[in-house]
Amino acid sequence: MNTRTTHEPIIQMKNIEKHFGSVIALAGVSIDVYPGECHCLLGDNGAGKSTFIKTMSGVHKPTRGEILFEGRPMNFESPRDAMDAGIATVHQHLAMIPLMSVSRNFFMGNEPVKKVVGMNFFDHEYANQVTMDEMRKMGINLRGPDQAVGTLSGGERQTVAIARAVHFGAKVLILDEPTSALGVRQTANVLATIDKVRKQDIAVVFITHNVRHAMAVGDRFTVLNRGQTLGTAQRGQISAEELQDMMAGGQELVALEGSLGGTV
Amino acid sequence: MKSTLKALLMAAAVVAAPFVAANTASAEGEKYILVSHAPDSDTWWNTIKNGIALAGKQVGAEVEYRNPPTGDIADMARIIEQAAASSPDGIITTLADFDVLKGPIRNAVDQGIDVIIMNTGTPDQAREVGALMYVGQPEYDAGFAAGLRAKGEGVTKFLCVNHAIQQPTVGERCRGYADGLGIDLGDAMMDSGTDPSEIKNKVLAYLSANPYVNGILTLGPVSADPTIAALKENGMAGSIHFGTFDLGEEIVKGIKDGTIKWGIDQQPFLQAYLPVVILANWDRFGVLPGNNINSGPGFVTKDGLTMVEKFAGEYR
Amino acid sequence: MVDIAQTDERIKEISPLRRALIRPELGGMVGTVAVFLLFLLFASDSGMFAAQGALNWSLVSAQFMIIAVGACLLMIAGEFDLSVGSMIGFAGMMVAVFGVVLGWPMWLTIITTFAICLALGALNGWIVVKTGLPSFIVTLAFLFILRGFTIYIPQTIERKTIIGGIRDAAEGDWLAPIFGGKIGTSFFQWLGEAGVIEVFERGSRAGEPVVDGIPMLIVWAIALVIFGHVLLTKTRFGNWVFASGGDAEAARNSGVPVNRVKILMFMFTAFCATVFATCQVMEFGSAGADRGLLKEFEAIIAVVIGGALLTGGYGSVLGAALGALIFGVVQQGLFFAGVESSLFRVFLGVILLAAVILNTYIRRIITGER
Repeated sequence: MNTRTTHEPIIQMKNIEKHFGSVIALAGVSIDVYPGECHCLLGDNGAGKSTFIKTMSGVHKPTRGEILFEGRPMNFESPRDAMDAGIATVHQHLAMIPLMSVSRNFFMGNEPVKKVVGMNFFDHEYANQVTMDEMRKMGINLRGPDQAVGTLSGGERQTVAIARAVHFGAKVLILDEPTSALGVRQTANVLATIDKVRKQDIAVVFITHNVRHAMAVGDRFTVLNRGQTLGTAQRGQISAEELQDMMAGGQELVALEGSLGGTV
Repeated sequence: MKSTLKALLMAAAVVAAPFVAANTASAEGEKYILVSHAPDSDTWWNTIKNGIALAGKQVGAEVEYRNPPTGDIADMARIIEQAAASSPDGIITTLADFDVLKGPIRNAVDQGIDVIIMNTGTPDQAREVGALMYVGQPEYDAGFAAGLRAKGEGVTKFLCVNHAIQQPTVGERCRGYADGLGIDLGDAMMDSGTDPSEIKNKVLAYLSANPYVNGILTLGPVSADPTIAALKENGMAGSIHFGTFDLGEEIVKGIKDGTIKWGIDQQPFLQAYLPVVILANWDRFGVLPGNNINSGPGFVTKDGLTMVEKFAGEYR
Repeated sequence: MVDIAQTDERIKEISPLRRALIRPELGGMVGTVAVFLLFLLFASDSGMFAAQGALNWSLVSAQFMIIAVGACLLMIAGEFDLSVGSMIGFAGMMVAVFGVVLGWPMWLTIITTFAICLALGALNGWIVVKTGLPSFIVTLAFLFILRGFTIYIPQTIERKTIIGGIRDAAEGDWLAPIFGGKIGTSFFQWLGEAGVIEVFERGSRAGEPVVDGIPMLIVWAIALVIFGHVLLTKTRFGNWVFASGGDAEAARNSGVPVNRVKILMFMFTAFCATVFATCQVMEFGSAGADRGLLKEFEAIIAVVIGGALLTGGYGSVLGAALGALIFGVVQQGLFFAGVESSLFRVFLGVILLAAVILNTYIRRIITGER
């Protein structure tokens, strides 16, 4: 499956530590991500997933540790730096405005302009064309580029956000719990989108606490627990049950699972 | 959707109803429009409305009362332009701001509409805009007369409560009063605003800060009523010299119980009634009084309050 | 894997006619047609649609339009400005103080006034953006501050609250006619001579047409509406305005300079208020402390009738312009129709309510809000 891992990793995080005052949120986490793979980052609530991806996307500076991006040490001063380098984050809180049309949203902050008698105007024609094309590539047929984002389903909105990040040159795409609030069919759509993105040689970091979603598209799996990583596993080397146990920190869930009949 | 439609239909019905009423109610005969500068909230103008209504009924002319809802003089100019555009036989208007209103009034006159200036303005200004005549109480003169009288009654230091600071003509009353007393106006003119409790508290504060004040002038019911309440509260009612412009129910009561020495009646009824009658007779028979008409000032004291009391707020 | 590219059977096909109609301005368009029909029915013989009457309601509508354009863009950017009315009074008074009391040349007076008012607008915006306070509160403070100065300054300098003589001071100036002049005078002269419009019967202007040109106020209104519409719908800045009002956080995440957009929109609102004030003092020749009272609400009402969302992110400048037209036509039309003027507020309330209900319905269709 993960044939592309022979390349150099695009991003390497080495022994990342992050302290907030006396709280140690990350206690030495290492991970590397290769182009064209979907790297799943699993962990329960409070395991340090959010802190870790915020460090990766430049929101936080690590207290200790090193980040290598395309083999060079990187020091992101702001999310903007990370974005410019090609690290795009699709937040749980989507950067989408429901009242605005899909194409206006798609190009928000990066509007194409054309000159008419020396003045810059929003190039709606180009924007609409690109939006329709990109969305079709992701498998969504819009009624029109002027359709408001508010009329789209949650999964479709995620897809717009992903398509936007890809169009604007993301090399690493960080997806923060994209499936957590979605129904079954919409989840399937988003997972299909992830698969399409991976095939374009983009590295996907997929954060979730749902093992089944991770197993559906993941090439490798890293589990975070209480600010530490319990190692990275290849697809096929680990079962869903083992991942589930690692996330919960072992013993407790085993007992719980018995009483719930393996439904968790 | 259905309920939305229903709501809209009902709204349309509400909107249309007064049109129907207004059209069926229109009388035969000449049409005169009275334009005032008073905001909707100024109840004093009720007498004016009653005055033109009565005159209209008696002479058989159609009359309308128009005013800018917020008292904005620029809006009033638009109303005069609008009145002129609807081609009435005559316009009766106040001249609250000569600079703003002279253009629209002049245009109405040039269009062939007869204009009479009432209430605010001066005879000179009325002549300048081409009006037939002026009916009212020249503000400065009335204030001056009040000042002379107050001086004879022993006022040496005064407070003038001005609730209409944005209208310079009303302020003239304070200036005239000061000149009549022979005192410099200084900071004796208070911008009281129009809120009753604010006025009351400002007056209370001013009087406690300036203990030597022994005379108060208010410029109408809006400022007089709260001032009466203020004087009753601090115990100065009856002992401080208190004169006011205009009449109203509370003012009449105040005159009766001795809180107010006198009220200056500019007799607004005449300002509304007479122009309608004069315009009707001018249009029908070509007769016109030879001079401006001073509707005031008339000092109303405790004596002879019966008529005033009976018609206060209605025709007085 | 399901074929997710298929069309969702639950999204109904929309006919082209319906699609052309369903737009933010629809409420305004329906209202405009309804209002004109109503007055054609009840006031057609009153002179309302003769040249002079038409100019009358056009002028009032144009006044509303000028401030509505500013209020509309600001509202779409997610903010309010309650100080518009006070700004009108203040700007007019500044023109009077500089031009008449201090005797500056009129062009310098106008430019200085614009500079001061734009700076005040920027200050408004800067405070809102920096403190994160609701603009409602910040501009409410400015409503009082500016009105207070508008009364205090002339009273201190001139001992009165109205300063006149601006028209005389503006005589022969090159910039003043841009605000107080008229265009097309020779055309209207010709119309008067041809008997198309009435002429004055007597006085110094006998023989001149009762409408002798299009006042610059109307030209400004049209120009600002076009500018606002193009800015909002055809430029990238317009996209930022929508984004800032729709969700400031999401816009920031996408790299939109939200703070800059908001401050600029506050400045534009101040600009519109100053245009309004300058046109007014040039026409009437005096500045008064009570000018512009409650105009901020009239602007907001026009914008809301025009389909904008009070919470920002959605709206249309054309809609706001139609809202202003409805407002002006109704206000003046009631006089023409001979309706008791105190009923004006009843009408306004009914229209506002009807417009908001209709607009909410339209907006839900467009944006899929539930």
